[in-house]
Amino acid sequence: MAAANPLITADAVEATEFMDLTRKYRVTGVPKTVVNETIEILGGLPEQDFVRAALEMPDNEPPTTA
Amino acid sequence: MGLLSPQDEAVLKQHLSAITKPVTLLLFTQTFGGSESGTVAKAILGEIAALNDKVAVVEKNFVLDTEDKAKYRVDKAPAIVILSDGDDTRMRMYGAPTGYEFVGLVEAILVAGTGKIDLDPQTLAWIQAVDKPLHLQVFSTPT
Repeated sequence: MAAANPLITADAVEATEFMDLTRKYRVTGVPKTVVNETIEILGGLPEQDFVRAALEMPDNEPPTTA
Repeated sequence: MGLLSPQDEAVLKQHLSAITKPVTLLLFTQTFGGSESGTVAKAILGEIAALNDKVAVVEKNFVLDTEDKAKYRVDKAPAIVILSDGDDTRMRMYGAPTGYEFVGLVEAILVAGTGKIDLDPQTLAWIQAVDKPLHLQVFSTPT
């Protein structure tokens, strides 16, 4: 996603190394993705489902990012 | 004896042969007070870079290289910042890239080195339409 849009930054964080972040974001299972500190996506999702969740797109609607 | 087996090296070398643009892996480590994972990260990156001359590792000191730390907004170590032909790809890895993280690192290097993004056209269009900053943090464990 980061490679496709200059506004996106993607960090892969090794959860056991950074326990402070693991606690802060309540990571109880992996993979867990936190988007802009607010959106939480737990588990591995199919590509489209993941992007929809990360962009907070309503089901079957085009993205609303404005 | 390296961390990668000769078989792994052969497969990895084959994948990396697709790279056409120089990839720089900026590795930020902390010598004193840092964790062992910085040493592991350095060894792994060194083994990857040895397999393709377009991949280079540049070590940065997390404490002393404050300018680069600020430039690439690195706030913890060990950190790997992936550059494509000198440009920041905005892809970062924090912690030693072992286990599942290793696969992610190799995929990120391939995206940086080939410019090819392996996503469905519809998904790609959604991502390209994003018009506000988005910061993704993906937590995983080596096993």
